[in-house]
Amino acid sequence: MIETIFFEEQISNHPTTERIRKALPRSTWVPIERYQELFNKRHQNFKLQKKNPALILAKKHENFVLPVPSGFGMDSHKNFYFSHMYNCLYDCKYCFLQGLYSSANFVLFVNYEDFFHSISEKIAEYKGKSLTFFSGYDCDSLAFDKLSGFADHALTFFETFPNVELELRTKSIAINSLLQRKPLDNCIVAFSLSPSEIAKSMDSKAPNINRRINAIKQLAETGWKIGLRFDPLIYTSNWKNLYSSLFEEILNGLNPSMLHSISYGPLRFPKKMYKKAASLHPEQKLFAFPMEETKGIVSYGKKIETEMHDFLKSELNKYTSENKIFQCTI
Amino acid sequence: MSEFKDPKNFAKTQFNFCWVIALRAEAIPIIEAFKMKILDNQSLFPIYANETTGHALIISGIGSIKSAAAATFLKNYLQIKNYTAWINLGIAGFSRDPIGDIYQAVKVVSKESGAVFFPGLRLSKLLPAETLVTVSKPESKYNEPVLYDMEAAGFCELVPSFSCNELTYVIKIVSDTANSSSTLITKNLVRDLIEKQLSKISAVLGQIEILVQEEKRRLSLPDEVEDFEKNFRFTETSKHQFREIYRKWKIMFPTKRLDPSEFLNSQPKDIILQLEKEILINAENWNAL
Repeated sequence: MIETIFFEEQISNHPTTERIRKALPRSTWVPIERYQELFNKRHQNFKLQKKNPALILAKKHENFVLPVPSGFGMDSHKNFYFSHMYNCLYDCKYCFLQGLYSSANFVLFVNYEDFFHSISEKIAEYKGKSLTFFSGYDCDSLAFDKLSGFADHALTFFETFPNVELELRTKSIAINSLLQRKPLDNCIVAFSLSPSEIAKSMDSKAPNINRRINAIKQLAETGWKIGLRFDPLIYTSNWKNLYSSLFEEILNGLNPSMLHSISYGPLRFPKKMYKKAASLHPEQKLFAFPMEETKGIVSYGKKIETEMHDFLKSELNKYTSENKIFQCTI
Repeated sequence: MSEFKDPKNFAKTQFNFCWVIALRAEAIPIIEAFKMKILDNQSLFPIYANETTGHALIISGIGSIKSAAAATFLKNYLQIKNYTAWINLGIAGFSRDPIGDIYQAVKVVSKESGAVFFPGLRLSKLLPAETLVTVSKPESKYNEPVLYDMEAAGFCELVPSFSCNELTYVIKIVSDTANSSSTLITKNLVRDLIEKQLSKISAVLGQIEILVQEEKRRLSLPDEVEDFEKNFRFTETSKHQFREIYRKWKIMFPTKRLDPSEFLNSQPKDIILQLEKEILINAENWNAL
């Protein structure tokens, strides 16, 4: 349970705030003026905070929808992302959020309606073009859903725009809000996955891979389109076997018509984020590998990246057509 | 005692908890509970410590500025490390009875400057959380549903930079309310209020110590590194590079030890290159799990 909830006074009567208040009556509720006064404070310790994060309920005022950076890897005319939340319930060792934010507290922007208004404007601006909106860039789309109720709002909204795609990216198995409704043809539930051994070592607090695969199969069987995201790819001594087995485990038995897309991307960090993540986990083997730095980006280097790319592409081609496979390079 | 007074002798001492407390009457129960002895009562602020229990304490006097100044003084005097927890403990006014209740301040507001702080990791299972307002004159009206003190804002302004915000704690015990005037506060009452909460304070320290130990593991430099560095002329930059490469090397070769005799007549850059080379050779079959 979340013990402490900081809430901006301006949204204290917002329906989402009231719903969360009813769900968490025993938590300590502390009023604040703006979420930044807490979230952006200096001298916060992300790692310690992660042990008992607080929830911050806030109102987002601008930049509801942003274009995804080039290299994101999907082939819509235009891709956008939005973040109704900052930070994640899980504690994955490779996660860039630990390098991005100084705080591990969860920020939930309760004014979902303003996100949808902004998305409507983008849809109108690019009328007739194929658009995809990604949720789950700065958070996990579903992990917090039981409390936030966001997925249900988003699906109700996107139901009215059948030509526009919504991707919910997640590691969560909290899929009840999806199973309880008719599948949306324009919604892709995209699961982030790593081989079981890697996830066991690095995806702290996240559901294990078997449970994620079960959730995928359950969703696919009920008609939801599935995205598979192998990002970041982790290099380790027997990585080829690990990834081959994982592909086999997921893709054998998954109805190909329910597979929307597969994407993969190498482990990469902006230099500053890498340094911060490594300093938070100095004992982690992930941060002991002799990474290379090119133009401010820390990675395994071209040789390993190419080897991983070539192998993955040829392995994945065994299961699905090339036009469903994308490489993410950011 | 005289040997203990030389601040140089504290460089290797590991204090896990530093207390910053305004009044002697508030400090005595803590000094006694953790068997602290006075180190220096000739200095600006009286300092107490016990190396064995890992506690140090400074009596700051009343006021925000004094609290910040005393914390800084203690940090410098005892060369406190960056994994130490800092605790501002004391009495406070409150809008609600009864006196004697103990709270963790999770939001601290300076009435004077309007600055807001959010110290500590929440310890809600042990202590109820409250908002605290630091005032420059004693509060007698208790209009807002908050705690009132005279130090915490100054403490919170500075202390998170010593270790981090999650190791900075403000704990207050209610001494006066609208129904129990601050004029009734005596030294004995203060001592009594704090003594009655010592078991709860001990439980809180148990939780904080877990965080301290985790930070200590993360930040401490192995003796092997310090011993090794003494044998070579590292500049600040090369020392930083060496330590970073050593971290990776040690993860890759956990059972190996750095032996200075293997690097006789080597320059720091040669040592760094050698470690990098060993890491690279091992990387091809690297098990990241």
